[in-house]
Amino acid sequence: MNEIIVSLENVCKIFDGAARVTALDGVGLEVPRGQRVSVMGPSGSGKSTLLNIVCGLDVPTSGRVLINGSDLAAMSDDDRTRLRREQIGMIFQTFNLMPTLNGVENVALPLRLCGMSGNEAADRAAAMLERVGLSGRGSHRPDEMSGGERQRVAIARALIFDPPLLLADEPTGNLDSATGDEILKLLEDVHNEFGTSMILVTHNENAAAICERRIDLLDGRIVSDTLRSPK
Amino acid sequence: MISALAMIVLRDWGCHKLRLGLTTAGIALGVAAFFAIQTTNEALVGSLNGTIEKLAGKATLQAAAGNAGFSFDAIKAVRSTPGVKIAEPVTETLAATTLGETRLLILGLDTASDLQLYNTAAERPELVIKNPLVFSSRKDSVAITTKLADRFGIKDGDRITVETSSGPAVLTIRGLFTASGIGDVYDGNVAVMDIYSAQATFGRGNRIDRIDISTADGADVDAVQAELVARLGPGIDVVRPDLRGKSLENSVTTMHAGFTILSIVALMIGVFIIFNSFTISVNQRWKDIAILRSIGVERRGIKLMFLSEAVILGAIGSCLGIAAGLAISMAAMGLVTRITATVYGIASATPELRFEPGYAAAAFAIGIVSSVIAAWVPARAAASLDPAAALRNIETRRSEPRMNRLRLAAGAALVAAGLLGVKFTPPGIDSYVQSTYSFMIQFGMIMLLPAIITVGGLVLRPVMDRLFGAEGVIAVETMARSPRRTAATVGAIMIGLTFAISNASLIQSLKMAIDHSLDKALAADIVITSSEQLSSRSNHFSEAVAASIASMDEVEAADQIRITTTRMNDREVALLAHDMSEFFRISPDLLDSGDPARARELTSRGEGVIISNNLAFRSNLKLGDSLTIRSPKGDVELPIVGMLDYYRSEHGTIFLERALYRQYWDDPDVDYIFIDLKPGVDRQAFKAKAAAAIAGTRRAFIYTHEEYKQFAGGVIDRFFLLMYMQTIIAIAVAAIGLVNTMLISVAERKRELGIFRAIGGLRRQVVKMVLLEAAAISMVGFAAGALTSLLNTYFLINTAAKVVAGFRLPFHFSFWLLGLAIPAVIVMAMISAWLPARNAARLEVADAIGYE
Ligand SMILES: Nc1ncnc2c1ncn2[C@@H]1O[C@H](COP(=O)(O)OP(=O)(O)OP(=O)(O)O)[C@@H](O)[C@H]1O
Ligand SMILES: [Mg+2]
Repeated sequence: MNEIIVSLENVCKIFDGAARVTALDGVGLEVPRGQRVSVMGPSGSGKSTLLNIVCGLDVPTSGRVLINGSDLAAMSDDDRTRLRREQIGMIFQTFNLMPTLNGVENVALPLRLCGMSGNEAADRAAAMLERVGLSGRGSHRPDEMSGGERQRVAIARALIFDPPLLLADEPTGNLDSATGDEILKLLEDVHNEFGTSMILVTHNENAAAICERRIDLLDGRIVSDTLRSPK
Repeated sequence: MISALAMIVLRDWGCHKLRLGLTTAGIALGVAAFFAIQTTNEALVGSLNGTIEKLAGKATLQAAAGNAGFSFDAIKAVRSTPGVKIAEPVTETLAATTLGETRLLILGLDTASDLQLYNTAAERPELVIKNPLVFSSRKDSVAITTKLADRFGIKDGDRITVETSSGPAVLTIRGLFTASGIGDVYDGNVAVMDIYSAQATFGRGNRIDRIDISTADGADVDAVQAELVARLGPGIDVVRPDLRGKSLENSVTTMHAGFTILSIVALMIGVFIIFNSFTISVNQRWKDIAILRSIGVERRGIKLMFLSEAVILGAIGSCLGIAAGLAISMAAMGLVTRITATVYGIASATPELRFEPGYAAAAFAIGIVSSVIAAWVPARAAASLDPAAALRNIETRRSEPRMNRLRLAAGAALVAAGLLGVKFTPPGIDSYVQSTYSFMIQFGMIMLLPAIITVGGLVLRPVMDRLFGAEGVIAVETMARSPRRTAATVGAIMIGLTFAISNASLIQSLKMAIDHSLDKALAADIVITSSEQLSSRSNHFSEAVAASIASMDEVEAADQIRITTTRMNDREVALLAHDMSEFFRISPDLLDSGDPARARELTSRGEGVIISNNLAFRSNLKLGDSLTIRSPKGDVELPIVGMLDYYRSEHGTIFLERALYRQYWDDPDVDYIFIDLKPGVDRQAFKAKAAAAIAGTRRAFIYTHEEYKQFAGGVIDRFFLLMYMQTIIAIAVAAIGLVNTMLISVAERKRELGIFRAIGGLRRQVVKMVLLEAAAISMVGFAAGALTSLLNTYFLINTAAKVVAGFRLPFHFSFWLLGLAIPAVIVMAMISAWLPARNAARLEVADAIGYE
């Protein structure tokens, strides 16, 4: 067990498209186990890029990324995928559920992808849905659910492996403020129960408020990093 | 506005080159098949007619009497008929020679005449015999085409050996003629002898095959024809050469019908591919459309955008298709020429290909119209899109409506109507009308596809879950939740399989029926024939040769048979002259209806005939009815005393006593000898002995009963070669459809696949999922295909065989081929899905789940 769950060392990310964009410019960051970090900054400042690099969906142009002490660059694509599956939960602004599967199946999917039997996975998924407060809606497909319900399903899916790290990219961005607050409450409960580390990208002060650490990005650089006690 | 929409379309093309390519290729494929088939068909019929015209020279009328020929004396009656300017007697013999594989058409002409009937230009005659007196006075004289001479390096004075009824004969080349006009047919495999020499050499006695007649200038051809019919009597037909071409054309109608169906199938599948591509195009542009709608483009504008795109792609695809079609028909022509050569037994030059602007225009129009039709539904879907819903996220995109009750009911009704039509249609209904039954069945099944896919999804889901886990479930759900995308491919596989399996079933049924019929009506130990081909214009056994074989020691019973044709209700009906008593002795069980003892008694005395069931069916004849057969010596009227299943001719077969035939047709030749051996005689040993006895005198083909059955099966296979070609095309197109669908499925689900990867799906699992989806689609296609081919087999055996040809066939369904199709379909699915699966695995995850 490593006490530092996420460690970024001088990470740069340059997109070489029609124009050259430096999305991340020498970012260094260490997140201890159990800590909640909010990442704020104007649009285009590199927040999503940072998350993608932490979970191994994207590779940095330079610099090192260590998750739980292991270097992502040294891993194969399959190993990074397994790491994502079992160590990192991900939540998106647009929920990103599989449209063809119902709630239970969506939550059970990561379990089944590593070979668990259908019934056992479904049982665990149902339990997890109950945990996030969605017991009755498991047999509905995403297009039959409200945004808040969908986000709960997404959180249940992210938590199904009890990952030590949860990444969320504007989890309340598509929800009204009341529903958004419910989701934040749920994330707090999760943290209290499992001690999960979180990196929360957000534009929402309420969301930032549940975290003990706050980072501000501007043009791909960390411009402030403050610790405080959560509300 | 228009230019703005045009820009959007063009940008989209730039981004989705693969889809654009597949759409254009789909149109091109359909158009190419249609154009190639029409062009090939035209060239074939054209060359057939050309052959007849060239053989007829300048004749305006021809007199002929089936294959049996008629007495030379008829020439007097013809020449004395008012209005007849020239009348030339002709014999035709197809003979094997020492010159190689293909046979030679040897025409017997009156070489002492100036042959002006066969020379188009008097100044530069094509057919000249340099020294007619010498030529006709020496019985071994033959003239051949320069083309043939060049091919084999033959000079004037060289000798060639030809097969005749009484053994090989050596002929001397005494003249060459240019390979144009008459010498141009059959790829130059034509020779001319003096008619008397030809009669003597080939044992034709006093008989000729044809009289070519040219009417006097200004004479009324119809009146002369009527007068000739009256003077020549009932056994001899007088027709215009082009009409003779028509009847030959009829004999290739099976091929023609096959071609037409093939082109329609190709076109249907082309429409499928276009439909598929446009559906995808709409799906890929879901959001663009929603944005356009929300910024103020009317529904009409959206629809117009898609339909204009269809017209433009239709035009490009059609042009490519016509070019490809021309290339295909060039290749096909060689193949078809070879098929005709094996089926009809003589080589012909590959027909000249002509670019028909009419067909090209039709193909072009068809390409555009099918594109617009195929784009119609997707365009309407695009136009009626709810912009608000589409602008939200993928989860909100409602799944397609799965079942439209009305469509289901219409589909079921069509299938039922087709089946009822097959069951209750009386004989004599036009075969084009009847082929609509098959279309009704297949089209109805296509309308039922969404239901079949839904049910297939329900059945497959637990199975795939058990076998393949989550990837299996997602694969099945993906298939079942977008029936529109899936339907086109399932339909293509269904139709491909239907063709393969129902054709094979028909062929199998036919073989079984023929097998059964040969066991019953040809129970002979040994069959000896004078020709490998089933036509009888070639060599025959002379009476003496036949008699010498029949009187060998080991022979218990011998039935000598002459095979020819006679015209009845304008159709060429097969006429088989048997030694009836021996026929019944060798095959006592031959009749299906009628009293065998009485039938044997009456027919052998020449007081009755036996007919095939299909003749009875087609001409509405019953046991006891009286049948009139036209012969050169007047009508023969006999009661029908027996009937049996017999598959020699689709127009029907008549069996009568050979003695009677000899008397009325003056024809002592024999084509087949059926032999029963004395008990204890070994068949193979006898076969060898008979071969040795015949060897040197002439060519013969000796089969045991089993070998003959095998030979007959081989002939059927060759005849149905075209059907096999159809099957291959259908399967290839189904594979193209599957690649298309899978590429589209992957492209459409880019984001979904991205999520799958983001939450921990391995590349390998993505590949597995895509392959499983292809497998699920192909399994549903297989199930639909199995059902449709069962129904279509019912159609083929009932309608195609019974109502069209009058054949009663046992219902045989080719289960082994169906079984074989399972691995074949799955392998095809895996191969087709490989590229799309690889694309899916290489997906950039971060891009795919990006927010736009
Ligand atoms: N795939 C890409 N190709 C090129 N440039 C990219 C790509 N992804 C991101 N960028 C650029 O990188 C920069 C950072 O993007 P990022 O998505 O991380 O911003 P963000 O902070 O998440 O913004 P928002 O708050 O709007 O989501 C932007 O300037 C963006 O244009
Ligand atoms: Mg972002």
